[in-house]
Formats: sequence, C-alpha cells, structure tokens
Amino acid sequence: MDIGTLIAGVLTLAILSFLYRDNPFYKFAESLLIGVSIGYILVITFNNTLMALLFEPLFKESDLWLIIPLLLGLLMWGRFHKKTAFLSRISIAVMIGSGAGVAIPAMLKERTLKQMSNTVVSLVNASGMPDFTGIIVILGVISYFYFSREQKGALGKIAKVGTYFLMIFFGTTFGYTVMSRMSTFIGRMEFLLSDFLKLIH
Amino acid sequence: MNRKVPLAVCFIFGVVMFIQYFSQHPTARFVYKSILDYWQIIFAFTLILGIISFVNNNISQIKRGNNTFYRIVAISGFLIMPVVALGWGIKTGSPFMWMFENVQAPMQSTVFALLAFFVASASYRGFRARSIPATILLLSALIILLSRSNIGGIFSDYLPNIADWIRNYPSMSARRAILIGIGLGSLTTSLRVIIGIERTWLGKD
Amino acid sequence: MKHLKSRHWIFLGLFLVIGITMILNVKLNVRVSPYTQKMFDYIDSLPPGSILLISFDHEASSLPEIRPLALAVLRHAFKKDLRLIGVSLLSEGTVIGYRLMQKTAKEYHKVYGKDYVYLGFRPQYVAAILSMGESLKETYPQDYLGNKYDQLNLLKSVKNYNNIDAVISIADGSLTTHWIEYGHGRYGVKILGAVTAAMVTTYDPYLASGQMYAMTGGLRGAAEYEELLKISGGGARGMLAQSSAHLYVIFLIIVGNLSYFITKRKGRK
Repeated sequence: MDIGTLIAGVLTLAILSFLYRDNPFYKFAESLLIGVSIGYILVITFNNTLMALLFEPLFKESDLWLIIPLLLGLLMWGRFHKKTAFLSRISIAVMIGSGAGVAIPAMLKERTLKQMSNTVVSLVNASGMPDFTGIIVILGVISYFYFSREQKGALGKIAKVGTYFLMIFFGTTFGYTVMSRMSTFIGRMEFLLSDFLKLIH
Repeated sequence: MNRKVPLAVCFIFGVVMFIQYFSQHPTARFVYKSILDYWQIIFAFTLILGIISFVNNNISQIKRGNNTFYRIVAISGFLIMPVVALGWGIKTGSPFMWMFENVQAPMQSTVFALLAFFVASASYRGFRARSIPATILLLSALIILLSRSNIGGIFSDYLPNIADWIRNYPSMSARRAILIGIGLGSLTTSLRVIIGIERTWLGKD
Repeated sequence: MKHLKSRHWIFLGLFLVIGITMILNVKLNVRVSPYTQKMFDYIDSLPPGSILLISFDHEASSLPEIRPLALAVLRHAFKKDLRLIGVSLLSEGTVIGYRLMQKTAKEYHKVYGKDYVYLGFRPQYVAAILSMGESLKETYPQDYLGNKYDQLNLLKSVKNYNNIDAVISIADGSLTTHWIEYGHGRYGVKILGAVTAAMVTTYDPYLASGQMYAMTGGLRGAAEYEELLKISGGGARGMLAQSSAHLYVIFLIIVGNLSYFITKRKGRK
C-alpha cells in the first residue's frame, strides 16, 4: 500500500470516528482539513485566476485598464482596519450593482416568464393522465407564500392545495437526497474496502 | 459620504449592466466585458480577504491559548499548500496534487458522507405521519426510495413509472411555483438594490 | 454496550448494510431512465470533432457520487471522438476536473491541446459564464497549466459559445441553474447536466421547459450511463449497496412510525 492511500485511509477513519462522539482524532482531522482547504483556495485563486487575469496582463503586457480592478480589489482589503473598512463598500457596490443589473433580465425572462409560460398547458394529457403542471398548482403554491392576507376562505383552501403539492415536492426531494447521501458514503466505503483494506477488488 | 458613494457606484454599475442587455454596440460590449472581468478579479481579492482573516483569527486565538494545538494544525495545513505549490507547481504528480488527492479530498468527502448516517437517524426519529401533509411527504419519499431500489426485479416496472410521474408532474409543478416565486423576489430585490432602497449590504457604520 | 445510544445502533446498521453488500460485490442490472437515455443519445449523436465544454461545478465533498458520473460522461465523449474543453466554476472542482479529464483522455489516447484542454477555475460564476459568452480567450488568456490560449490547437477555432455544441455542467449544487439562466438564456448554448441525486428535483422545471436539454443524476445515473456504454464502473458497483441502503432507510421510517403510533395509542389509554 502506498503512503498516500495509508494517510487517506487513516484520515477517513478519523473523520468517521465522529459518529461515535467528538474526539481528538476527529478534531485533528477537522483542523487539518480546514487549513489544507483554505491553502488550496489560495493557490488556485492566485495561480489560476489572479496571475492569468490580472498580474500577467498588467505587468507583462502593460494592460493599464487593469489598474481599476486592482485598486477595487485592494479596497476590499480595507476591511482589515476599522478606519478603512468603509472603502470596501465601493468594491462591494461594484459586485452587488453588476449582479443586480445582469440578474433583472435573467430573473424576469428565464426564471419567471419562461416558467410561467410553461404552466399554460392542458390539464389532461394525451394518455388521459392528469397534468398538474397547469395553473392550479402554481396558484396554490404561490398562495401559500402570500402573507399579505390571512389565509382563510378561498385563499386558505387554494393555499392548502398548494401545501399538499409542496409536500410531494419535499418528499421527492428527500428521497433523492437520501440517494445522494448514501452514494457519498458508498464511495468512501469503496475506498476503504478496496484501496485501503483490500477486501474487495 | 461613506454610504452615498457606494450607493452611487451600485446604481451606476447596476444600470449599465442592465442596459447593456439591450445593446450590441461595440462600446457597450467592451464596457460589459470589462465589468465582467473586474467583477471576477474583485471576487478573487474577496476570497483572499477571507483567507487572511482566517489566518489572523487563528493567530490571535493561538496567542490567547485557545485550542492551540488544533489551531496550529490548521495553520500548518494552510501553509503547506502554497509552499508545495510554489516549490513544485500544481501539475499531476506534484506534492500539491498529492496533498489534494490524499488529504483534502478524502477527508472532505468523508465529512459529507457522515450525512448519510444523520439522514438515516432523522428518518427514524423525525419522519412521522403526524398530519395529512406529513403523510403525503412520507408517502412520496417512500415511493421514490422504493422505485430506486429494484433489487432483482422485486419491484415491477410500475413503481418506477409512478415515481417518474410524481417527479414529472406534481413535484415538478411545486418546484416550478417556488422557482417563479424566487424569480419574482430576486427581480424586485435587484431593482431595490439598484435604486438604493435595499441597503443592508452596506452594513452598519 | 451501555454507553451506546439508539443513534449508534442506527449508524452501525447502516455501516453493516453498506459494508456487507459491497463485499458481496454483486452487480445489478439497472433500468435506464428516459432522462439518462436522452443525455446519452444527444452525446452519441454528435459527429466526431464536435466541441463540448465540460464545467466541473462541484466540491471535493461530493466526489464519491460525482466521480462515476463524470467518468461515464467523459468516457462517452472521448469514445465518440468529441473534443473537450474543461473549466471549473468552483475552486475545488478545478483539480478534480483536471485529473478526471487527464485520466479518461489517457484511456482513449487523446492528446492535450488537440483533443482536449483544461482551462481551470474562474471565480464568481455568473461573471465567468457571461464572460465566456463574450470571449473564451479573454476569460481564459491561459490554460490551467499556464499555456497561452493561442498555443492550444483546439482553441484556435473557439471564440465563444457559438463554437461550442453544448455545455455539460457536472454539479453538486445550483451552479447549473446559472448555466441555464445566463449561458442558455443569454447566449443560447445548449445545457446538459450531470448532477448529484439531491439536485435533480431542483432542475426538473428547467428540463420540462426545455431550458435544460438533458440531465442525469447521482450514482444511479452513473450506473445507467455505464449500462448504456456497456462498461463497468463505480455506478454499477455501488447499486446493490445503494438499493440496500434505501431499503434500510425505509425500514427505519416504518419502525419509527410504528413506535410513534404505539406510543400515541398507549398515551390515549
């Protein structure tokens, strides 16, 4: 067994030991994981992004436009000191403003209008099965999230229908989430049983 | 001043990025592309801000003698990655890659795998048919789980078909309704941010 | 034994169910779902030389689930002689994507720069997706290994999404949503998803509306894809354990409910 597999196996067991209770082996592995992950992000962000997008074009190719994002990026670091913390708001404003600007057409067209247009369909499909993609479910679920009026009478009834459909969605999602979590553990067990313990091939 | 300038910057960038959607003029494309680049670069600086804060926080905790050993482990783990990347690069076979594959990835996926156990425990403790909505939730989850467990053909084709129907119709419709709600919410929030009504992102003075 | 609580027995049960079924090493035949079939058919229908952009939009945490799925899709693409461009919108997906592409490329004797390239990570996914729609070269002046964009033969004909047949987002979260709403919405590029099982219901409305072309999900999706490719992989190997774990959870739900109703009835008496 190579040293890498041995270390990976021992660290995997250290993390799994949390299932019994919190213990020093788990805490050690957890701290190491946090440190290594943050070191990794630093390397990838600096090496793969800042060098390629900023430093090389700015200093090697003299693309002086890039002084603007460099300054905006450095303003972000104003947060390290209380007196200069307000400067970071300018950089945040660029990101928040840009995000909001591009989000408006995307949210309106792609998330709202296109999805709404797909609700205007027949309630019974060609094979005679009910098709709930229609307006009833949408009205029901949206009514459930409508908090400006007390949910009584017709509004309460349609919101109740919405609740039932929401429960079907949550149940379905729960089923798939169980699948997902089990898959992750199966993957780790495969590593432990084949690579680490050599019990299966 | 501390609030007015950021609000003005937010308004200008918001309006510019909104208007560019309707223009194919080369100048509009240039401005749009430049802002997209700036956005990525500032975000990269933000990531590094978080990293430096992590180091600062850990060093101050070590000085106070708070969980010293584990904090030293975290700082050592943090330092080792840039050191090996600087020394040997990040290509296949490098110590950086070795650290990622044998230390970071196995631990991270195992932490996530713990959720399998907690999901199992929650299924036993919390998944109860206490009311009609809870029963509907439970039944749809059971059908989905059973339909994806067809060991040796125990369960016929009917169950996967029923599960697919649940997923494609009632479940999808409810998700669609949530999506429309989120879409409308995001739309109004974006507008409020641009015109300066929504100011929580500025924080406190 | 006294210090073991009920949750420990539940944990032990799951450990044994998955451990034993994995040691049994029985491969199950899986029924291919229409979702996976559509994804497979699309990639299968592309002529050799077509370009796919593979985006590794996931963390290391979901690697055990994502890896078999990603490998199946990559193997299919290389088998069909498609050309691949790899990117990542999450920093942790960067190294994983690079290694997975490299591994599968080696299996099919593909050459870096000609048959596939790996461009690496860009932060702020919305900005990155939109930026690639304008110019891939300006978004990635160099690849993951530091080679200049123009030095890579495959990229010479690629300006933006117009020169790419489809984007496959391999994701464990909501990043595929951004590919759909910004990549497809703004630039019209076809989006396919290879996602974790937990995320499939999130994308169902996009699949139904046609904003997302096709999607396969989870270890089960990987097993189905392997079945279609007629290869053995991590998906098929895990199916018995997966099915047994589902039955174990169902058993726990039933026992939990029975004890709830029995306690409730006793309380009434």
